[in-house]
Order: sequence, then C-alpha cells, then structure tokens
Amino acid sequence: MDSTHPQSKSGSESTVSRRRVLGALGGGTLAASAGCVRQVGALMNREAPEQLSFTIKTAPADADPRAIRIARFLAKRLQAVGIEASITPMSNEVLLRDVLLNHAFDIFIAPMRGRPDPDFLRPLLHSRFGAEPGTQNPYGYANLDVDALLERQRAQTGKRRRKTLARLQRSVVRDQPFSVVAFPDEIRVTRADGYAGWEQRPIHTPLGYLGLDRDAAGTADRLSGDTSEDERALRMTLTDSRPTESLNPLAPEFRASGTITDLLYDPLGRWVDGQVRPWLASSWTWSRPPDAPGPVATVELREDLTWHDGTDLTASDVAFTYRLLADTSLGRLESPVPAPRFRGLGSLVTDAEAVDERTVRLSLVPSSRPVATRSLTAPVLPEHVWEAKAQQATVAGLDPNGAVTQALVWSNPDPVGSGPLRLERRRPRELLVFARNEDHFLTRDGLADHLAPFAGGFTPDQLAFTVVPSGGAAVELVRAGDADATASGVMPADVPEVGRSDELNLHVTRPRTCYQVGYNVRRGALSSPRFRRAVGRLLDKQFLAREVFERYGQPAASPLARHRSVAPSLVWNGEDPELPFPGEAGQLDVERAREAFRDAGYRYSSDGDLLGT
Amino acid sequence: MSLAESLAVVLGGVVLLNAGVAALVLRRERPGDLRTRLREAAPYLAFLGGVLAVNKVAREYGPELSWVVGWNITHRIYSIEGTLVAHVQSVATPWLTTYFSAVYLFGYTILLTFPFLAYLLHPQLRHLKRAAVAFGLNYGLGVVCYTLFVSYGPRNRIPDAVEPLLYAAYPRAQIVTSQVNANTNVFPSLHASLSVTVALLAWRTRERYPRWTAIAVPLAASVVVSTMYLGIHWATDVVAGIALGVGSVLVAEWLVE
Repeated sequence: MDSTHPQSKSGSESTVSRRRVLGALGGGTLAASAGCVRQVGALMNREAPEQLSFTIKTAPADADPRAIRIARFLAKRLQAVGIEASITPMSNEVLLRDVLLNHAFDIFIAPMRGRPDPDFLRPLLHSRFGAEPGTQNPYGYANLDVDALLERQRAQTGKRRRKTLARLQRSVVRDQPFSVVAFPDEIRVTRADGYAGWEQRPIHTPLGYLGLDRDAAGTADRLSGDTSEDERALRMTLTDSRPTESLNPLAPEFRASGTITDLLYDPLGRWVDGQVRPWLASSWTWSRPPDAPGPVATVELREDLTWHDGTDLTASDVAFTYRLLADTSLGRLESPVPAPRFRGLGSLVTDAEAVDERTVRLSLVPSSRPVATRSLTAPVLPEHVWEAKAQQATVAGLDPNGAVTQALVWSNPDPVGSGPLRLERRRPRELLVFARNEDHFLTRDGLADHLAPFAGGFTPDQLAFTVVPSGGAAVELVRAGDADATASGVMPADVPEVGRSDELNLHVTRPRTCYQVGYNVRRGALSSPRFRRAVGRLLDKQFLAREVFERYGQPAASPLARHRSVAPSLVWNGEDPELPFPGEAGQLDVERAREAFRDAGYRYSSDGDLLGT
Repeated sequence: MSLAESLAVVLGGVVLLNAGVAALVLRRERPGDLRTRLREAAPYLAFLGGVLAVNKVAREYGPELSWVVGWNITHRIYSIEGTLVAHVQSVATPWLTTYFSAVYLFGYTILLTFPFLAYLLHPQLRHLKRAAVAFGLNYGLGVVCYTLFVSYGPRNRIPDAVEPLLYAAYPRAQIVTSQVNANTNVFPSLHASLSVTVALLAWRTRERYPRWTAIAVPLAASVVVSTMYLGIHWATDVVAGIALGVGSVLVAEWLVE
C-alpha cells in the first residue's frame, strides 16, 4: 500500500492551476491572439510540479530501537523543510530484501557493518556493483573518481593507501550516497557466576565463543530445560530470530553479523588480533607469476579435515566454493549470479583451482597483500551439498524472476559445515542448539601459536541460542539464571538494571558498525548530491548520539571513523565537519535548512512545500 | 523461572481467578446432564475449535505470508491518528501501569474463559452457542485481517512518544505474549473485540448473572483502554476491534436463533 515511488501526492495542485487558467480564458482577457493560445497550450501541457515525498524504510522498535528513532527524527525535519515523509517499519528480513535485493526504497535506515580492512568500502561504493542485487552498493551510487580511488587503494599499502583512503572518504562524504549518523557501543550482559573469559574477545563473535575459559565455568553446569543432565551448555539470548529461520551463509537478508554461520563454516583464514591467520589452511604462500595480472595464493589445507557428515574436506571443496561465490549458478544461467554477501571477497578472486587433495591455487586481481589476504576469509562450503543448489530458484515450478539460484534462497535447514560447532536442533523463531564438533582441528595437538588461545575448540558441550522478544527480556532471563549471556546487544535503558545487580556483568565494546541513512540515488531528487547533502544536514548527529544512543555511541561523518585510516579532516570535532546541523540541540533552524534546499536548485510552493520537477 | 514456569504461573492464575469469579457469580447453578448439554452445543463448539485450530496454524505462517500478500498499513494508521496514544499514556502512573498490565494479562484471560464455564451451566444453552460462534467469528475475521494487513503498534512505530509500559515493567510478559502473537498483528485489536464481545454477551445474561455483568463490563472497558495505555495498539485498532466485537455478537445471535 505504501508507495515506493517518490511521488505519491495526488494531482490536486495541477487541477487547481488548470482551473485558474481556464477561468482566465473564460474571462476573455487573454483569448485574443493565436500566440496567446500557444502560450496557454505550453502552460497547460506542462506537468505541474508536486511536493517531494519520500518513504523511509526501517525496522520497528522491537527489532531496532535506535533505527526507528533516527527515522522519526529525520521524518519530522523533512516535514519541517516542506518534504512529505512517511515511515514504513518492516521486519529486518523484509527490509534487507527491499533495500539490498530489490532496490525498492527511497531512504532506509539500518546499521552498516564495517570490516577490519577498509576495502569493505569497495563493494559498497563501486559503481560496477550498482546494478547488482546484494549488499554491494545498494544506493546505486556512481562516481568514476571514487571507483578509481577504490581500485587504487586495493593495491596500495601504508602511507600511500591512507592518503588514497582519505581522498576517498572526502569524496564519498561530499557526495553523501548515505549519511553516517553515529557508531553505537555494543552493550552485552553476562552472568557473574557463569562462564569466564568474556572480556578477552568481543561477545558473540566466533573467537569470543572459542576463547572462553573452559576451567572457569563456575556454575555453568546448571541444568537448563533444553539440555540433558550430563551436558554443559552455554546458553545465549538472541533478539534476532533470523538465524533460526535460515542458516544459509550466502543469504544477505538473514545475516546481521554472520557469527552463527561462521561457527558452522570455517574459512581458510580468520581475523585473529587484527590479522588474517591460517585457519582451515595450515599455511599459504603468495607469488606473482609473470603472466598473472595479480597475486597468486598457494594454499595448503590441514590434514584430515572432514565435514560434519563425515565426508572429507578437500582442495576441491575450496576451489568449488570460490567458483560458487563468483557465480552461484556455476555457469548454468546466461550471466553469472554472484553471491551478494561475499561480493567484496569473491570479486578479488579470478580463478580457483585444486592442485591436489590438499593444495588449492587462487589467482587474484591486482591487490596489495592485506587486501588479497581478505579473500581467504570466505566460508568454505561442501561441494557435495551445494553443487545441487546451483540451479535456478523456482517456486512450485514457476520461474519467479530469472537470475536467482537455489544457493541464495535455500534456508539450509540441516547445515553440513566443517566448523567447531554443528547444528543439533532448530525450532524456527525459538531456538538453535549447536553441539561441539569433536573432530574439529582445534581439538588436535600441535596448533600454531596464534591458535593456542582456542585450542580444544568450543569447550562446553552445547551452544544454545534462545530467541527473546527484546533486550529487556534478555536481561531478565540472564538475571534469572535461564541464560548465561546476551548474544544480541541490549539498550542503554537496561544498563542501570544491570548495575544494580551483583549477579550480572556489563560488557561494552566499540565495533566498526555505524548507523547509516541510505539514499536510493536512482530516484528523483535523491539522485542529486546537492539535494542529499541538504538532507544529510537535517541529522543532528550530536543530538542523536545523546538522545537516541543515550551516550553509548559517537557521532561521526565518515564510515571509517573507527578505523585508523579515518581522514583527519573528517574526525568529529564537536560538530559535523562536512554537514553541520543548521540549529541547536535537535531544534532545526527551518529557514537555514530550507535555504540549503534552495541552494541545491529546488524551489518552494506558496504553501511552503518543497517541489520536485 | 523458565518459559514453561512463566506459562504455568499464567495458567495457574487463570484457574484461580476462574474459581474466584465462579464463587462470586455462580450460586444457584445446578448443572443438569452436562453430557447431553455438551452434545447439543457440540456443533457450535466444534466451529470455535476449528477456527482456533486454523488460527494456530495461521499464526505460525501468517506473518510471513502477510509480508508477501499483505498491505503495510502502519503509516496509514499513523497518519490518521498521529500521537493520540501518547496522550492516553500522559496519565501514566506506576499504579495505573500495574492495574492495566494486570487487566491486559489476567483480566483478559478471565473474560475469555469464564463465559464458557458460566454458559455451560446456564439453563438456556443458546448463550453458550452464541459465545462459541461469536468467539469463532472474532478469531476467524481477526486472522484474515492479520494476513491482509501488516501493521506495527505505536510502541514500535513512535517509540520516542509511546513507551512500551507493559514490557518495560514486566519484560517477562513479552516473552509470553510473543509466543502467542507476532508484533505485526495489531489491526484490529482482538483484545478489544473479544472484550466487547464478552461484555455484550454478559449484558444479555445480566438477569441470571448480574454479578458477572458487573464484573465483565468494567473489566472489558479496562482491557480496551489498556491496549492503548500500554502502547500496544493504536486507537484505530481499538475502534476496528470494537466494530468486530459488536458485529460478531450480532451475527452470532442471528445464526443461533
């Protein structure tokens, strides 16, 4: 019912103006000459401009209490400057489907997940990806200079790369394909008498789970209703039910963080303490053959790797995985259907080939060592399961819309991975129970130093995720001893409650995730960077960080604000260095804000409505 | 306290409350041959049972189906009434929150369950039949609306103006309610429609059970207000719910006569 098009107001203004013209004609004052008739015709056949109107899509308060508040703030300011704005709350899954896959939105508000290496900006902003469905460039943003900078930084290192990244940030922040609002702090709660070691690595990350102290489990062998007597389970609460509905690591609309699928599927290499280190691979070497355009990785797999179903994991599975990421139809459809969630990593690899059982060779596009090494962090999938998923996705024999493969829409209810955990039980929207994988390589002796903290793999017998409706309910369960910790973050409003309780500990981290207001650059006025800049100025980030993030978050101008490579000129200095808010403490100086829209080339009706063309 | 225990507390509370209300209301009842009575009312009760079974399945898959076929009317409702619910909440006090939370959780369950106990014992069986049909219509039409319309309540759409009073005060309540309902099912308010249904039926039997009428009518009114006070429903949902409740009773009476 909600219009997804920017123009949704009825044509009432055009009828009025036409009636006026006809009235003037009837009065006989103008109808004298043929030239005048032509003039009337030219006037009447013009489309009357209508008020600009946008729909803001975002998640409801249950799913994301911050996003909808930012949406409310923005919608009110848009209305104040004469733009019709409506908010459509939708479930996270539907929101991401609309934004990432269908590009059916005007403006959306959602968290943007940053990665350790700034190259995550390349799939996000490169114009080559603008026409593809997926996490890559949902805005439809195209700037050839930015494309060049994105490609250049990929092959650079050190100071030169930082310089390129600084220029890149300045261009992107100037163009505002999205507005960075603020970087929230993640707040999580654990039981003081439960497992220990939470503070060593961020909670609800693969290494966070794997690095928990096995001996300091305290009362963790308390019984839970969902596990049998002799088993020790780590019980987490989850406010996002999507992982219980699909465990497909390639489905972008179901993955907020990917932590859970990361525990099921091992990559060749994993980020450990700021560096990609060997994981499924025992080692890799880089070379640069004279005929190759970019680096070539020769990756050696560990010995005796198996999938959860007992099948051997071989170099052929690895080569298959990279072929699947590049084209989930494996050449069966006319044009390739890349896996959207791993577009950044997949687009680095041009060729993957199994040399023998345990050796795989990956050829890459020209890229620096740190960027090239990122390509090794994609999850490795079993060929004998996913091969069959390369066919075109159909619904009851129908072809819904062409270029979609099973691999992207399959819910993967019974996942076969190689990771430290395997799925034991699943109740959609309620529960996920994983069991420790006894055969995982982490349980073996002779691990390299960087894996020492994770030796033994996941140490409790089970990892259970219970879906809860809110952070408040999660805190309640942890306090009552029905859960050991919250996997999803809780809200600042829950913090005093935790502070008052001796049974609970608070953990605050600062991940590289920011809240963004994303614009569909393919649509109407939003295609103009001047217009987007005027919209971006309506966000009082300082005020939002205080009121919406309740001080658990920092306002920011750049998506790299929590990276070392943040452009010095874009560091927050008390107000937005690029688009300062015209007003104070959330109060908009409406005249100044309207001036920005006039400067952008837009004009106002006599009623104060901002008109489109 | 686990989920099962929370549910046990709710169920135990409902049984106790029913016993309490029964002691107040049912004094003169001499149950005749219950088996014969049940047999006679069976088709009507089967209708309700069938609707509830369909309803259970639809609640499971409906929300997803709704995103495919339904209209997202959240903004439509917001543009009709704006922050009206915030004005209802402006009278909030801790006492009122406790009262309306109790009414929403326990008062409502009494309204849903007690009529069946009372009407099973009522000399005229048509009240039981009416109640069964009216409830069935409420749930049936409710689930059709829930599939056709996607709508989030005020606490989800305007959280800066409307507080989730029930869930802020009793986070566990949300765990229980989220088991039986999706947060996109707010239009119409079934809390409002069923409460109105029960109040109307109670009015019809006021001569036999005057005390039940005296309990049910103000309780139903409180439930109706609580849905807005607690930030769960829009006034629009409540108006639609009242219409659904009145309509269900009229149709049920017509069908049973």
